[in-house]
Amino acid sequence: MKLNQVLGNRTIAIVVAVSALIILFPLGYSVVGVAFSPPRPFLEKPDEKHENCVRDTSYMRFHHMDLLKELREEAVREGKGGEISVNSCRECHTSRKQFCNQCHNAVNLYVDCFGCHYYPLEDER
Amino acid sequence: MDRRDFVKAGGVLLAGTTCAYGLPLLSAYSLSTPSPEGSSGKRKWGMVIDVRNCSEGCNACSEACHKEHNITSRGEKDWDIHLIRRVTVKRKYPAGAAAIAEPLSVPLLCNHCDDPPCVQACPVQATFKRDDGIVLVDHHRCIGCRYCMIACPYNARHFNFKENEEWANKNYTRSTHGVPQSCNFCAARIRKWRKRVEEDPEVLKREPEPVPACVEACEKQALASGKKKALTFGNLNDPDSDVSKLIADNPARGIREDLGTKPKVFYIGL
Repeated sequence: MKLNQVLGNRTIAIVVAVSALIILFPLGYSVVGVAFSPPRPFLEKPDEKHENCVRDTSYMRFHHMDLLKELREEAVREGKGGEISVNSCRECHTSRKQFCNQCHNAVNLYVDCFGCHYYPLEDER
Repeated sequence: MDRRDFVKAGGVLLAGTTCAYGLPLLSAYSLSTPSPEGSSGKRKWGMVIDVRNCSEGCNACSEACHKEHNITSRGEKDWDIHLIRRVTVKRKYPAGAAAIAEPLSVPLLCNHCDDPPCVQACPVQATFKRDDGIVLVDHHRCIGCRYCMIACPYNARHFNFKENEEWANKNYTRSTHGVPQSCNFCAARIRKWRKRVEEDPEVLKREPEPVPACVEACEKQALASGKKKALTFGNLNDPDSDVSKLIADNPARGIREDLGTKPKVFYIGL
């Protein structure tokens, strides 16, 4: 016995169409629907005293987490350095809401630093 | 090749392989075996507590420590954490001795053991012993399992069940809840001092070595009251340091030395 004898051609066509719709939905959604646009962070320029960051802007944008982790391991596990830390971010970028949360909230990444390290949400100065 | 030659060749091959693999292993073993005394020329921080000079009612060390590490004292016995705490000890033995009837007030803190049970117990290597002998908790790695608290025979670790409230020392971290905390011999002070020594070795001759907040407070208190200080901090590897001299001149002992943890906090007059 063949399938189209049991279900009928029309039923098979509907099932195929619906499954195709479900399978192709994500693809179409990302093309037609609201695509995710990466956040364009707006950072206020620090004062004249702190012209440059500890590394290049492009490096800091993509690898700040690597740098922080590296320095943290050095300071905590080896007891060396420690002059650059989250505290030194705070010196120029005074507001955590603008500096950290702007991007991290957009990509839904929770940073677990500020339970222990002091960094005010709003500018306190 | 006959059977005899085959066996001979096999033997030579086996011996060669053993040497080739065994020698690096042997040399690696001898390199990686740490000496309990620490390599010479290195620092090993330690503390000497002279219980005879520790006056009852004085809580300067504990207060200074809590201020430095942003610890909230709530006055609740079950929740409060103490990196250094004072207990009153009554001597019971030998029975009937009249001279030792008065209670002793003893400051207790992490003993920074040379063979620390907490380090062995930690499943994620969050607790570790540094080269200079300080036993630390890496709060970034800690999962809060509290095995170290169970392993510690001195009850030196305290768990942050509640969030601390005050944040007086803003450049210093404030522990969140969910991680244990113990005395760290003010590792941040030592790190800053080390940094300055690396930049300018003259600092070593010019300035005294760093001391933790409790020792600083004890010195201040001793100056104010005109008594001798109870806490002394220094390098145990240096025979000319204050701690080494105190240990050499007085009968200094660690607590429960029979456990084999080799504590680096020594008590005089206990």
